[in-house]
Amino acid sequence: MFDPYSIRQEFPILQQPAYEHELTYLDNAATTQKPSRVLERILGYYQTANANVHRGAHFLSDRATSQFEQARQTVERFIHAPENGQVIWTKGTTEAINTVAYGIEHLIDPDDEILISSLEHHANLVPWQQLSFRTGARLRIIPFTSDGKWQAEYANYFSDRTKIVACTQVSNAIGVQLPIKEVIQHAKNVGAMTLIDGAQAIAHYPVSVSELDCDFYVFSGHKMYGPTGIGVLYGKTDALESLLPCQTGGEMVLHVTYQATEFNILPYRLEAGTPNIEGALGLAAACDFLQQHDQEAVLKWEQSLAEKAYSILENTTDIEIFSPKKHSTLISLSVKNTHIMDLNGYLDSKGIAVRGGSHCAHPLMAQLGVSGTLRASFACYNTMEEAEHFANTLLEAIELLQED
Amino acid sequence: MESPSLSSIQAQLQACHSKEDTFRTLVTLSKTLPRLSNDEKADEHKIKGCESAVWLIIEHNHTDFPQFKADSDAKLMRGVLAAILSLVNGKSTTEIQAMDLSSLMSSLNLGSYLTSSRTNGVLAILDKISCR
Ligand SMILES: Cc1ncc(COP(=O)(O)O)c(C=O)c1O
Repeated sequence: MFDPYSIRQEFPILQQPAYEHELTYLDNAATTQKPSRVLERILGYYQTANANVHRGAHFLSDRATSQFEQARQTVERFIHAPENGQVIWTKGTTEAINTVAYGIEHLIDPDDEILISSLEHHANLVPWQQLSFRTGARLRIIPFTSDGKWQAEYANYFSDRTKIVACTQVSNAIGVQLPIKEVIQHAKNVGAMTLIDGAQAIAHYPVSVSELDCDFYVFSGHKMYGPTGIGVLYGKTDALESLLPCQTGGEMVLHVTYQATEFNILPYRLEAGTPNIEGALGLAAACDFLQQHDQEAVLKWEQSLAEKAYSILENTTDIEIFSPKKHSTLISLSVKNTHIMDLNGYLDSKGIAVRGGSHCAHPLMAQLGVSGTLRASFACYNTMEEAEHFANTLLEAIELLQED
Repeated sequence: MESPSLSSIQAQLQACHSKEDTFRTLVTLSKTLPRLSNDEKADEHKIKGCESAVWLIIEHNHTDFPQFKADSDAKLMRGVLAAILSLVNGKSTTEIQAMDLSSLMSSLNLGSYLTSSRTNGVLAILDKISCR
């Protein structure tokens, strides 16, 4: 049975105060906290298995290599990758997207088109924009409304010029889910590659890359209860094969002469240098953590927290809410005539951690007509009391800040 | 509202014993800072690197006593600006140039309102008001 109060006990960081208040951590879309088993996995690695992987045959090196490769398989199973070796370790979502954006450059012609949605994080926008600058290909933005719906003319965006479609599964700024299955289908119909940014989805929604049938799926460990500095580029084998390595060096080679280099096979070909071994193990422990709980119950709980905050705040005149009331694990809003930083400052002074700002999505903020929003994002360890405390404290802040 | 003196601002801020006290004090102080007109909020007066928009104008008016005006779209920042300007209001250029602004800033007890992401902006403000 899923119980947020007992899950909370697994997170040592949540047991401390913030200033003279209890800590209320609602900035989970930025990064989640880490359960003890992830921390112990990392510590345990250094205490019992630390060695460089894939090199030198000795006791520790064998142990480290086998744990590291097991971690890869854990993640592959977690996302239902159809084959082994389809998970490439990166330092996060950003590096995974850049690996693809640089890796496919040799396939892009000046009259090709690259499609992204209008709800992207800068991480799934700037690499494609820069790729379009380097190659002359055209970057086109599929307009989505802020409730995640397509606009009527969407079909026209897909054509035989479309080379790749990159789309987020869930918006980090406004919590809405995008119809990625449709996006992938449209892309397939025109023979384009697909990349799904799962950074905001992976901690909440069960993900099956084989069911989605996308070419690439990317996410970060730190947003799913794992450590920072580790992330995943999943790719279909032929899609990964088509990437030119954008980083070269050790580990990714089979044979080197001064005249030429023979690259290693996948997944190593795309993993130059000593990898983040402890990060990979920590991320695998985070997958185990997520799978040990009833993911559907957790998701319902997180959505009910966002919905609770929503219903407390929705009838306040000056508040505009951008996230959906239902089926969102976060609430994102702005308050008329009140600066986000002031609201953020008051909540912080009460020990409530939220995020105020543009959420690395300047074009989306422009679309919404605001300079930023205040976002409270929920995780499995948050309680109903915390959701209510956030909403009520926000109302207090508005009252205090609007009096003159 | 009349601009409070440096010593009164220092006293108010030093009496704060929690982040929340400081928040409320800054909001109260923000009300003492005269607002700028829309014309004055021109891009040339904007300080870069702040989380909120900050405008700062120094008028010399052919005297040795510069006049400082500032505004922000965030109240907390207006409170911080009221505190910062109290350090230099009514002082001559020579006096201001001789001041150690950053250690004076520490005497204001603004604590974490000056750290982290706000720091860049505040440093740029101090740099501008130092009249160097
Ligand atoms: C939707 C989305 N994409 C990409 C990223 C970038 O992730 P990272 O900074 O871990 O590389 C984030 C992180 O905020 C995100 O929310």
